[in-house]
Amino acid sequence: MKHDRSMKRFWVFFILASVAVSLFPLIVTSEYSVRIATIVLLWIGMAGCWNLMSGYTGYIDFGPVVYFGLGSYATAISMTKYGALFFPSVILAGVVAALMALPIGISTLRLKGAYFAIATFAFAETMKQVSLEFDRTFGVTFFEGSHGITLPLSGHSNEFFFYCVLAVTFVIVLLHYSIEHSKFGYGLKAIHEAEPAAEIAGVNTTGLKLRAYVTSAFFLGLLGGIEAYWITYITPTDVFNVQKTVQMVIMTLLGGMGTFLGPIVGASCLTLLSEYLGATFVEDYMILVGAIIIVIILIMPNGIVGTIKERKGIRFI
Amino acid sequence: MDTVLLQAIINGLLLGGVYAAYSAGFSLIFGVMGVVNLAHGELIMLGAFTSYWMFVYLNMDPYVTTPFAMVFLFVFGYLLQKYIINRVIEQPHIMSYILTFGIHLMVANLALKFWTHDFRSITTAYSGMNAAFWGLNVPLSRLITFCLALLIIAALWFFLARTETGRAIRATSMDKEVARLMGVNIREIYAITFGIGAAITGLAGASISPFVIIFPEMGLGYTIIAFCVVVLGGMGYMPGALWGGLILGVAQSLTATYLSAGISVAITFLILFFMLIFRPTGIVGKGLAA
Repeated sequence: MKHDRSMKRFWVFFILASVAVSLFPLIVTSEYSVRIATIVLLWIGMAGCWNLMSGYTGYIDFGPVVYFGLGSYATAISMTKYGALFFPSVILAGVVAALMALPIGISTLRLKGAYFAIATFAFAETMKQVSLEFDRTFGVTFFEGSHGITLPLSGHSNEFFFYCVLAVTFVIVLLHYSIEHSKFGYGLKAIHEAEPAAEIAGVNTTGLKLRAYVTSAFFLGLLGGIEAYWITYITPTDVFNVQKTVQMVIMTLLGGMGTFLGPIVGASCLTLLSEYLGATFVEDYMILVGAIIIVIILIMPNGIVGTIKERKGIRFI
Repeated sequence: MDTVLLQAIINGLLLGGVYAAYSAGFSLIFGVMGVVNLAHGELIMLGAFTSYWMFVYLNMDPYVTTPFAMVFLFVFGYLLQKYIINRVIEQPHIMSYILTFGIHLMVANLALKFWTHDFRSITTAYSGMNAAFWGLNVPLSRLITFCLALLIIAALWFFLARTETGRAIRATSMDKEVARLMGVNIREIYAITFGIGAAITGLAGASISPFVIIFPEMGLGYTIIAFCVVVLGGMGYMPGALWGGLILGVAQSLTATYLSAGISVAITFLILFFMLIFRPTGIVGKGLAA
């Protein structure tokens, strides 16, 4: 069976890659490299979350950052206000994000195309404004407004956060694989190809979309929580920054939407590029990102992985 | 009625007129091509900068510069559609959102590179002038822009309803395949539509330049407001931009007066969110459904 062989090849490749990645902090000595590696992993995870929902179904979510931000805030508030420990707080962050995604998903996933994109975007911006203005308007101290929240200093090394992010990203990548080979995944792809036809064929399209949406929100919440504790200082304009959404979209697009390797390739390329260019030439970096988007859309709309797959007929999995 | 409330409503209506002026082009482009133009704010920014540079170097009144902004942006929009956006127009719409987002990033950051982060404003002899009566204030330049907005929308309506090109544009937006069979050059019509959309947006950008802060990154905020206005009024339904603009303007002005300015932005997005879910065809119900 071809399927079995490719599956075996995948597992060998996957285990080797994960061992190599998890040994990374032990091999390199500079803190800087570990930080960069953590950032790359974080973006792979975030782009992966976006890919899970939007890449496979074709429903373009322009507000995924809201679940990242909610996760950051859930972690920060439960740690500073209720003295909770880090790990329970992060789990809570994921749960809060998923619970929030449920009603939002139910209401917005009925919308199509541009309307879904705008609604999700509007929701993300609403949450940003609410967390900015809630305290001042109602005279309480909960979100702390634009001052932001300072989390307790962790005292953990960069390696600790590297492994935290790695664990979550690892699960997200595994999820991609299982989606590619499950009924759930075929359902999502069917929604992308022709939603009415899928519905007639008996696919519970709304249920599947909702599952994908809530799953991606849960993992974004986890990542948001971990990042908050790592950075130790969060503000609404930071964690709900629309730029984060943009990065997720572009990374996935560059790598290839709805492919397993897409987010990994896209996130690695763009993070390294921005590390190289972004620190010194911010504007040049943004101009370049704009140009990259235009070129990808015009020349290779399937992204790097999708285009190679098409040209050479290579199967990565 | 007390003066505070009345003043808030007047401010809201004036603000709404401004919103309507720069959202009509967004609605036109979406209605005809289904393109959600995420670079819309950049068209406003370019219009405002056209006005600003002509004011600085040629000492021209900002309202006199509006025709120049209009011509400049027509050419810009026409070329953009003809050589870039037309290439993805037959593909799934998501391609066009991401493409226009790329254009947004490029234009905004190129402007940032050449014109720096500085906040600029235009001070004319009449800026700060008010028409005051019964204890109420009506800022003069906002009033002029408000009237201009009504004029823009009326002219656009007339153009679409009464001219040959306007008829071709309407036909294309109804059914592009049939329009093509009737001998309409779809791609040319798309380019002209984008050009017109960009031109009226540029005109609006130039006409708001006397009373807004002009800087390269101003665009995104305007794009978001245009979204809200157009969704409120009904996507693709031209007079809807006026309804949407006025409602949003009054709602924002009232919440800013009685609650806080920050919360009024949150209210904007809440309105947008609930409109999309419960009434995606807009207040009047004549917009395009998803």
